[in-house]
Amino acid sequence: MFSLIRGGAFALLLALLLALAAACGDDGDGGGASLSPTATRAATVAAQSQLTLTDGLGRSVTLTAVPQRIASLSPAATEILFAVGAGDQVAAVDMFSNYPPEATTREKLDAFQPSVEAIAGAQPDLVLVFYDPGNLVEGLTNANLTVFFLETPTSVEGVLDQIRVLGKVTGHPQEAEGLVESMQEDISAVQERLAAVEQGPRVFHEVDNQLYTVAPDSFVGNLYTILKAQNIAAGTGQAFPQLSQEAIIEADPEVIILGDAVGGESPETVKARPGWGSISAVKNDRIYVVDPDIVSRPGPRLADALETLARALYPERFP
Amino acid sequence: MKLFDRTAPEAMAALPPLAAALPRRSAWPLALALVLLLAAALLGAAVGPAGIPLDAVVRIVVSRISGADLASGLPQQWQDIVWEIRLPRVIVAGLVGASLALAGATYQAVFRNPLADPYLIGVAAGAGLGAAIAVVAGWDFSFYQMSPLTIMTFAGALAAAGVSYLLARVGRTVPVTTLLLAGVAIGSLASSATSYLIISSGVKGLEIYSWILGGFNDSSWDSMWLLVPYLLPAAVLVLAHGRILNVMQLDEEQAQQLGVNVERVKLLLIGVATLATAAAVSVAGVIGFVGLIVPHFVRLLWGPDHRQLLPLSMVLGAAFLILADVPARTIDAPSEIPVGIVTAVCGTPFFLYLLRLRQRAVF
Repeated sequence: MFSLIRGGAFALLLALLLALAAACGDDGDGGGASLSPTATRAATVAAQSQLTLTDGLGRSVTLTAVPQRIASLSPAATEILFAVGAGDQVAAVDMFSNYPPEATTREKLDAFQPSVEAIAGAQPDLVLVFYDPGNLVEGLTNANLTVFFLETPTSVEGVLDQIRVLGKVTGHPQEAEGLVESMQEDISAVQERLAAVEQGPRVFHEVDNQLYTVAPDSFVGNLYTILKAQNIAAGTGQAFPQLSQEAIIEADPEVIILGDAVGGESPETVKARPGWGSISAVKNDRIYVVDPDIVSRPGPRLADALETLARALYPERFP
Repeated sequence: MKLFDRTAPEAMAALPPLAAALPRRSAWPLALALVLLLAAALLGAAVGPAGIPLDAVVRIVVSRISGADLASGLPQQWQDIVWEIRLPRVIVAGLVGASLALAGATYQAVFRNPLADPYLIGVAAGAGLGAAIAVVAGWDFSFYQMSPLTIMTFAGALAAAGVSYLLARVGRTVPVTTLLLAGVAIGSLASSATSYLIISSGVKGLEIYSWILGGFNDSSWDSMWLLVPYLLPAAVLVLAHGRILNVMQLDEEQAQQLGVNVERVKLLLIGVATLATAAAVSVAGVIGFVGLIVPHFVRLLWGPDHRQLLPLSMVLGAAFLILADVPARTIDAPSEIPVGIVTAVCGTPFFLYLLRLRQRAVF
């Protein structure tokens, strides 16, 4: 019954859907693998006969060998795997894994309505999961598959940690460290340009046209914190709150970021909303569209996302 | 529409004694309900997440209505918030509440089932499916200010109710139990299809889901004009049938013998109540419990006479939803709480209380 669907599960679903953002991305580079993959892998395999890690569900996962047939049921994890040089070890991906383009050549699985049988049929030696519908993790474990659950990170730092973990898991710890360092350099470069900024513009990030947004407690919101922007959803106590229209108008954002262009919203539709005329971002024409694939995925392109948002917030500092 | 046989004036004469058996009507419950509605509307306009002083709200509203220049010194932002956001929101919440409570009271009377609510014959599930199709298709057009989403939810709601009605038809009659079961079946079918679309469409699933949760965060004057053309005729027609509904509660056959064209009355009343519900759902999503609890509340307090039950349900339904929307936008400000949660929190204990009451009557 629809009348029984309530908001409790909503924030969770929102987080998951955000991470699965489905439009097509085509720019950004894969990031910083620098060492020779073969050499590293051989070294790691030699060093580790057995690796035990705690996953996002608090489960202890033991790998007896470096996985060679990974099934990635997360678009962000897929991007990370290819970026740390583990692309060759990826056997199957979920259908929203559209980056890098090479990922689309792998066997396709469904992360939203996952079939244990289909996943087992891909014969993976490791399944990466970030969403656990219908006790998927338990089902896969019962089918004698090794499952590693990746929690959706709540900050950029959390994303970097996850990259390190996946580096270890796949036997590419140095490449992962290299990627993390190159992302940290990109982030620092952006931060340096903002060194003189005391307090950035007030910003409203629109996730959908029901006015759901990102608060600082989410990894997307964390980007705005790094950029010193004043997120009008700060202090709501939720990661993805829905804001009241009048609260948005009163907060008077100087910049509006649209993550819902896929849903048909555009700067024009925002300007046409009744009562929004007095908002600074509307008056000064500072409404920007971003690609949710890049901004809403906790993966290696988050540094690109940071730069995109920096350009929107501080056009004078990023000519 | 011919609701009575020409040959039945003497049958009509048999109606007054039946009505007289009900408690005497008085004007004060309606007066009280209207005062409550007015108070709810004033409260709704006075408070909100934006901290605008009460005198400024009054000055803005009065100056907009009367044309007097009382608000010139106030920030444009405040004027936008009060006039373009808060006031239409209060009025739309009131109209939706009135539509749902009226439809609920009508369904309960026609189906002679105390658990009937406006979504009984698949309207909510049909609207949800319409919304899902509109979102997934991603059409980009507008028709008389209406988005594809609004049009499709309205069409989906009517289609589900219409199919239920056609399936339940036996010859020239529509047995209410069959209609109810057909509605439940069509409803589950549409819900399943919607669930499938939600989980299989990635980010778009989010948009469908947040639409179904509903609420008044995007209400505007345009939303108001989508509701009025359905609520107004529904109110006039349903209220005009108060006495006939009283008779039909006793026995449909008896009503038939008294000259009431029962099938036509049922079709007419279900039709207008469904139209009003469909309009409400297309504007505010699926808001539960209003249509169920408000008529029962009125019945418990003032008895089952439909001449009184119907108008009181409308007025109190409006007041209830306006009041429920106040915590929805203020408790967690600046975040919203879906108004359906507020109505359910108020509605669930009441619903359970009704169930207990029914149990006692049985045992």
